[in-house]
Amino acid sequence: MFGSGLLGGVGHCAGMCGPVVATYTLGFSLQAGHMRTYALPQVLYNAGRITTYSIMGGIMGMTGSFAGVVKSIERFQTMTMAAIGMVMIILGLAATGWFSLPKSRTGREIASPVTGFVNRVIRFISATHTTGSVYVIGMATGFIPCGLLYTAYIAAAGTGATAGSPVEGFLRGMSTLLLFGLGTAPALLLIGHITARKGEWIRKRLYTVSSLFMIAIGAIFVYRAFCG
Amino acid sequence: MRARNIIILLLFLLLSSAYAVICPAAECDVSHGACIAMSGNTLVTLDISPKPAKAMKELFFSVTIKGTKIKTPLLLVLSMPGMYMGRNEVALKQDTDGSFIGRGIIPRCPAGKKLWQADIAIPGSGSVSYRFHVDD
Repeated sequence: MFGSGLLGGVGHCAGMCGPVVATYTLGFSLQAGHMRTYALPQVLYNAGRITTYSIMGGIMGMTGSFAGVVKSIERFQTMTMAAIGMVMIILGLAATGWFSLPKSRTGREIASPVTGFVNRVIRFISATHTTGSVYVIGMATGFIPCGLLYTAYIAAAGTGATAGSPVEGFLRGMSTLLLFGLGTAPALLLIGHITARKGEWIRKRLYTVSSLFMIAIGAIFVYRAFCG
Repeated sequence: MRARNIIILLLFLLLSSAYAVICPAAECDVSHGACIAMSGNTLVTLDISPKPAKAMKELFFSVTIKGTKIKTPLLLVLSMPGMYMGRNEVALKQDTDGSFIGRGIIPRCPAGKKLWQADIAIPGSGSVSYRFHVDD
């Protein structure tokens, strides 16, 4: 399963989750040049993702059922995908600066109800840019519907079907997805690493483009959640 | 130097992108009948039920072989042309009527792709492959 994750990380996850990694790395304004500053969030993001995979794999193994478990979380997966998409759009909008409030002659901000609401949302999401929140983002992205992940879940359910007890099934399923998740990590760590290293350079030269990129990817996620 | 790294990153994302895939056409309509393929002098028929074949549902795979006598179990490997989807295997055991049967699930691709490929290695006769669409 580790090999499958490793292959899938390059051939699949980099395309599907790479934009999310690039977005949060850019959005979180990580400082290049300080290994600990940008390495820790990358590790935490992947740890969060693998945590979700492992728990879900354990449940698949315990029940020995893939279709049943996925059906029960389908709506949650859709909502998660839409929420991540919306956060990406908001981060993109915040990065463009389009929603900065106009100021009066006295220097006080003037806000209409609409721009005031958008600003509050942007500020709330921007204020949660802590290293620990990256782990939660990672856990959330672990719920994004993914064909490659489904194949790993099918394997986990298969290992559970032949287990002697539900506990053994859970452990088998969990270890299957743990190995798979660890295999997918190098490709996403690489993307995060390069983006973090070049984040400042990208922001300085491709400021609007990178902001629009975030908005576009977010819009694709929301579209897929509701219309895909 | 920096520009080169950015180009490498963009190329990496593009090449591995789930969207930038050219998909070949389906070769048979498994939702309305069986798929037939030849391997040497061996005729191999694949049938999937219930019809239409749907993703995320348990499917029954039935393989009939004519021209060669096979006594060992077979392995059917499901993959998506142009996109790595992991190794999805269906173990096929010989039934009383001589055909090989097994159960499996074809996952749904959230990107909307529906073309799948089934590969079966036939001992002593090479392998056969089928390309077909599955419904969501």
